[in-house]
Amino acid sequence: MSEERAPLVQMINISKSFGHVRALRNVDFTVGRQEVVGLLGDNGAGKSTLIKILTGLYPPDSGEIYFEGRRILFSSPREARALGIETVYQDLALVELMNISRNFFLGRKPTKRIGFVDLLDVKKMDKVAEQVLSEIGIQIRSPREEVSILSGGERQSISIGRAMHFGMKLLILDEPTSSLSIKEARKVLNYVTEAKRRGLSVIFITHNIYHVYPVADRFTILSHGVKVGDFDKREVSPEEIAELIVGSVAA
Amino acid sequence: MNMRMPSLRALTYRLQRYPEIGALAGFLAVFVGFSIFAEHFLTLGCLSGILTMAAELGIVAVGITFLMISGEFDLSVGSILGVSAMAFALLAKANVHHLAALLIALGLGSLIGLLNGLLVVWTQIPSFIVTLGTMMFWRGVLLAVTGGFPVAYDGYSLLMYALSGRFGGGFHMSAWWFGALVIVLTVVLTQTRYGNGVFATGGGPGAARALGVNVHRVKVVNFILSGLLGGFAGIVQFSRFSSVDPLRGSGIELEAIAAAVIGGTLLSGGYGSIVGTLLGVLMVGMIRSGLVLAGAPAYWYRAFIGVILIIAVIINTKIRGMVAR
Repeated sequence: MSEERAPLVQMINISKSFGHVRALRNVDFTVGRQEVVGLLGDNGAGKSTLIKILTGLYPPDSGEIYFEGRRILFSSPREARALGIETVYQDLALVELMNISRNFFLGRKPTKRIGFVDLLDVKKMDKVAEQVLSEIGIQIRSPREEVSILSGGERQSISIGRAMHFGMKLLILDEPTSSLSIKEARKVLNYVTEAKRRGLSVIFITHNIYHVYPVADRFTILSHGVKVGDFDKREVSPEEIAELIVGSVAA
Repeated sequence: MNMRMPSLRALTYRLQRYPEIGALAGFLAVFVGFSIFAEHFLTLGCLSGILTMAAELGIVAVGITFLMISGEFDLSVGSILGVSAMAFALLAKANVHHLAALLIALGLGSLIGLLNGLLVVWTQIPSFIVTLGTMMFWRGVLLAVTGGFPVAYDGYSLLMYALSGRFGGGFHMSAWWFGALVIVLTVVLTQTRYGNGVFATGGGPGAARALGVNVHRVKVVNFILSGLLGGFAGIVQFSRFSSVDPLRGSGIELEAIAAAVIGGTLLSGGYGSIVGTLLGVLMVGMIRSGLVLAGAPAYWYRAFIGVILIIAVIINTKIRGMVAR
């Protein structure tokens, strides 16, 4: 498999049990280049387990994972991040008591070297954070503003902007819009589209097809740890997908 | 996004961003109050005494501040202070070179801090409990080893002078050490990636981990810092008194936490500043000396600190609550 041709992410035959609970059974999951995939399923379907295996939080019991055609097995989210996989969790997107630019650069440079110590370049951090966010259409009052006074949508937007800026290849969004107003959710979806336009792939995890339908290229549905199927957006309506999620739960 | 903030919200927002403003106001109020009501308060002797007390407490409190910002407590720091001071005293009495004794005693403090940190990180037991245990353990060891008797030392050295010698009347060298620590630790906290990680670890451990901060490492390093500075304060104090008793340092952990909180550091982690703690320890020092000079029995000192502490916490949490709403 040549590296350029290979899909961005390929998870093959993944299984994972926690004690007696079989969280995932022989699941295949693929994400193409510059593709937005909606990962759907009801609570407990195995969506988060699958993502946590991909990002190195859990090792799989069996199965193989390929990223850009290379076999990988991350032992921590930090390793996944280093390869360009950024995960934005619903409630863990940002640190509330810190300001926007400090959040933006958390665990990152820029630092300037003074003598033998690396100091943060606070001015540059503020400037870059503000500039990058406004480039992708996110207006902030001040990069020094604390995250605690921002709305949920603004927080998600900043996380997405950060992933774009730091040259991430894959953005994983965990229920990014489920606690947002319709207006805010629409904005976040715009940023997802913008991220795709800039070459990123996105995994959009949700239990509600209507949250992801406008932006997704493809859907993967899980139920009780088993994959129900992959569906191209051109082939299915949101109603059919919703039916599949609910139907497989009822079955 | 809305561009305008209501004015009350804007005011509380400003106060919330800089809780040190509250601490500064309190500091000025206490200072002016004692200047008016306490005779001899504005004398060199009194002010230098306050500074000496504040410096020794402050060396402990700045370490505690780092730890509290990252969301943990260290109740054992008073026992560490005693252990390091005693170690230095016993080594000095055994004619070990003072520089070597200093390094060994500091190493011991750091080691106890490391142990605290590893216990907290590995067991996931709240640090309040872990360090309550180690506080009792090391105090017990100290009492057992010394049989409860104080240790006095009649030698002196350049090193002891450098740590806490007198200068300019009643001032002690410890004030310089504390001043240097305030500057260095302020830079580390506000101007380095490590400092960013400290805030993130306390403010949102989950988000911090997701963003690539090694939360466990930050906590362990801060426990080591707290132990190191607790030990340093012990040796500084020993250099001033030339003696140490096995109960030395007990209670200082709570005063240090109180000073940090008065200075705007959150008990729940995620926010705090070294400058705030500086104001906090100066306030504690002023109250200790000022009350006596104002004619109140010395017993009232703790009661007064308690009241100030509660007022400080109310102001901090209420303001935060108003902004969060």
